[in-house]
Amino acid sequence: MSLFSELRRRNVFKVALLYAVASWLLVWLVNHMIDGVGLSAWVGDYALLLIVIGFPVALIFAWVYEITPSGIKKGIDVDQTQSIVYKTGQKLNAAVAVLAVLGVAAVIGEQLLPEFVRPVPVPIEEIRLKPVFDFSAKAEVPREITSFQLPNGLKIIVWPDHDIPNVALYYFVRAGSRNEYPGITGIAHFFEHMMFNGTKSRGQGEFDRTMEAAGGANNARTSNDTTVYMDWFPRSALETVFELEGDRLANLAIDPDVVETERGAVYSERRLRVDNDNDGRLFEQMMATAYVAHPYQSPVIGWPSDIKNWTQQDLEAFYKTYYAPNNITLVFAGDVTPEEIYLLADQYLSPIPRQHPPPEITTVEPEQQGERRFVIETDAQSPLLHVAFHAAATDDPETLQMDLLLAILAEGNSSRLHRALVEEAPVALSVGGMQTDGFDPGLVYFYMTLPPDGDLGDAEARLLLELQRVVENGVSAAELQKARNLRIASFWRGLQTINGKASSLGSFEVFTGDYENLFMIPERLTAIEPGDLQAVAAQVFRTENMTVGTLRPPAEGAAE
Amino acid sequence: MRRALFVALTLLAGSAWSADITVPDYERVELDNGTVLLLSEKHDVPLVGMRAIIRGGSAADPVDRAGLANLLANVIQKGAGERTAAEFAEAAAGVGGAISASSDLEAISVSAEFLSRDVELMIELVADMLMRPTLSKEEFEKERDRSIALIQAAKGSDPSRLMPAYANAFIFGNHAYGNPSGGSEASLAELTHEDIQQYYEDFFGGDRLIVAVVGDFDLEAMKAALTSVFGGWAAAAEKSPVLAPPALIAAPRVLLVDKPGATQTYFWIGNVGVAVDYPRRAELDLANTVFGGRFTSMLMTALRVESGLTYGARSVAERFSETGTVTIRSFTETSTTIEAIDLAINVLDRLHIRGLNNELIASARNYIMGQFPPTLETASSLARMLAFLEQHGQDRSYIDEYGAALAAATPVTISNTIAEAYPTVDDLVFVLIGDAEVLREDVAKYGPVTEISIIAPRFRPQPAE
Repeated sequence: MSLFSELRRRNVFKVALLYAVASWLLVWLVNHMIDGVGLSAWVGDYALLLIVIGFPVALIFAWVYEITPSGIKKGIDVDQTQSIVYKTGQKLNAAVAVLAVLGVAAVIGEQLLPEFVRPVPVPIEEIRLKPVFDFSAKAEVPREITSFQLPNGLKIIVWPDHDIPNVALYYFVRAGSRNEYPGITGIAHFFEHMMFNGTKSRGQGEFDRTMEAAGGANNARTSNDTTVYMDWFPRSALETVFELEGDRLANLAIDPDVVETERGAVYSERRLRVDNDNDGRLFEQMMATAYVAHPYQSPVIGWPSDIKNWTQQDLEAFYKTYYAPNNITLVFAGDVTPEEIYLLADQYLSPIPRQHPPPEITTVEPEQQGERRFVIETDAQSPLLHVAFHAAATDDPETLQMDLLLAILAEGNSSRLHRALVEEAPVALSVGGMQTDGFDPGLVYFYMTLPPDGDLGDAEARLLLELQRVVENGVSAAELQKARNLRIASFWRGLQTINGKASSLGSFEVFTGDYENLFMIPERLTAIEPGDLQAVAAQVFRTENMTVGTLRPPAEGAAE
Repeated sequence: MRRALFVALTLLAGSAWSADITVPDYERVELDNGTVLLLSEKHDVPLVGMRAIIRGGSAADPVDRAGLANLLANVIQKGAGERTAAEFAEAAAGVGGAISASSDLEAISVSAEFLSRDVELMIELVADMLMRPTLSKEEFEKERDRSIALIQAAKGSDPSRLMPAYANAFIFGNHAYGNPSGGSEASLAELTHEDIQQYYEDFFGGDRLIVAVVGDFDLEAMKAALTSVFGGWAAAAEKSPVLAPPALIAAPRVLLVDKPGATQTYFWIGNVGVAVDYPRRAELDLANTVFGGRFTSMLMTALRVESGLTYGARSVAERFSETGTVTIRSFTETSTTIEAIDLAINVLDRLHIRGLNNELIASARNYIMGQFPPTLETASSLARMLAFLEQHGQDRSYIDEYGAALAAATPVTISNTIAEAYPTVDDLVFVLIGDAEVLREDVAKYGPVTEISIIAPRFRPQPAE
């Protein structure tokens, strides 16, 4: 027999045809599943590969084996007089016919029916843009945060974050206006300036030149409670920064000539922030009036006469006591490892000797016994109103509750005060509320800017009415949820950058004693109830607990 | 010697930049109606930042109607879609989200930042603001009156905030770039409800919309959502305004804004600069960093560190699409005004004469490279950058090639750039806000003086605004 007829007898051609038709159908199906249902494209390629590999296998199989009543056997093993290849052949014909019909139907159907393609984008309400982030997960303390303390008392916290090749360093010196007394007010803030003005081995300006030449930038700020130094630099400048910081923490030069020039700069700053700024001026007077005993009464920048009269002795004593490693906490966030920070700290910061701890501040502001108020008359196109109440310290539990209440009262255009005082009745151009941060009890502080013809008495009355509303009727669950959401959003915003991470971690460590408390915030927020806010409002918003300061142009007889 | 070695090593260490400045991956999609989408995923925190830009801005404000675009930007969120102004603010704040809108010279922009679980609401609110704002007469009048009052408040307590308005008006004269973006008391008072409705019809549309979104979402899903929401927005009625480059106005000249009794003088000194697409941008940034762009700059060293005349002095190269400005900005006690200005001019002269040596170039380069990555660290800042690139017809190479451009700068190319971009000392425009009684005689030496009162209701000395 010829090869050709043998191929035919063993149904190889029919198997080939069946295989081809079946393959075509399979490929058609897979393609439609890829387009229509989103089946991964690789399935199609894989299927095609299998089909191509399978074809010669199928042909060989057809040649070698035949179907018999007792199963599939090798053709050579089958008695050719018993062979049913003919029947098998008919079955194969039938199978090919069936598949061919299916194939034709598919092709015709494809033309007649609407195209089976990916669905058209649906209206936004029906699209679920799921966040990839798992919101249900509790905010846990990130495991990569490490902290350690050097033998000299210096505490260091490291939060590795390798998203950008940069580092943020915040260090907190527990020295603020709180640590001052009449005669040396403003001295803590003065050191914020002096720390940039040279050490025993580096001249004035060298610190900044070196840091900026290495790609870094820096700043500092002083508050009632702390002086915070901030460096932002690329990873490559890490050792340079350690060398610079170690140097100025141990060897600051307090040069009398430099001191004189810097007094001038501080005066310039006072002029900018207080003397020529009506809000700053009013704020300074408010603090001095609300506090009668506690050092929070004096301005961070200092009273002019004190600025003028600090002595060399005052300065040296202050630096020695407060810029001591046992009084400082460092926080690194960014492209670093705890190991390398430890090694560099050991090298550059361990040698700095520990000092006696600074004296404790024992003055407690006595409870306010009656309303306090004052008026500043000065050139002002816009009258100002500030109203303050004594409240809690940063670490007290009521502070977070008041934080939420302030969000409801004063945060944004939907807040109660904005609606009542700016939108519904144009009493004020702007209104805000905040509470001061601190180791000791601070103030809840409202501030308003009025239009040129504004009525201060009316503004005050309306503000107090809104506060009284909270005391009497509390807040709604919806408002509380909004406040929670605002705080949660602000929690996450604070952790978006290495700068925010260093700042948040450091603030919590210094003001609450443990940086891990930062990550308790979301949980604590959930536990707060509307009743808590009403209670804290009743505690704080009392007239005998209130200080009111206004700033306005001099009255000229006619109503101004 | 050890010190010099230390400095050299520091410079060298900083100079070993293998990692370049690059924009993270993003996808650009142009829809059929001309809207451009820019999308990038970012999952470090559960936030999404969005920046939507409508090309046009206050340079498109009609003559006499400065402040129109900015006022419109304020009003589009005072009621949009089905929500009243209060409901709109409540909807965003209720989920801890933030939305704001404003106009600068060349675009109205909307910025939004929401927790990623509320991103659908964010898209809905921004879409409503842009495509279905209510623009009620009542809200318009409230915003207009409030804007006027805010200008008056600034004149009283913080006049430095008004410097850009005075300075741009004086540098550019009647050109559109001289329009105060926020308007003036006089121009705002002229605005009518019909004006903002007309501006909206004329200049808001899908053909000039850019939407950049970065954050915790799935890119394909976000693309589909934004396409469905913005893809059908019809074009604005009028063509985008085309700006001609401004005509040169003779210098030197002085604008003295009188604030009687002022204890401080605020001053800007400069002139027209260069545009966003200036080819030697790297050279300009290097020069400006050294001149007045960081704490150890020439200006800060002279005016603060060495003489104690001021708390802050800097130089800013502001770049728009057609051109820009370069200005020295500072302030000082009234009595030391002339001394400070003379010193600033002297430093500018030094910049022209000496340029930058290799050590300064390396230092400035390290500084720029070192300070750049944090500027793109958040979803919102990246969205802002992507929208900016698109607005100015730039692609990612504007950033990606920047590091190489910085590395390629030489003292010669920088000197050429300084000559081109910075005004010389006899070609300066001076803008001062201070006590004219004390200053007017002495500032006359800088050039012909135009004096206006800070109480005057316009920022331009000339009538037309």
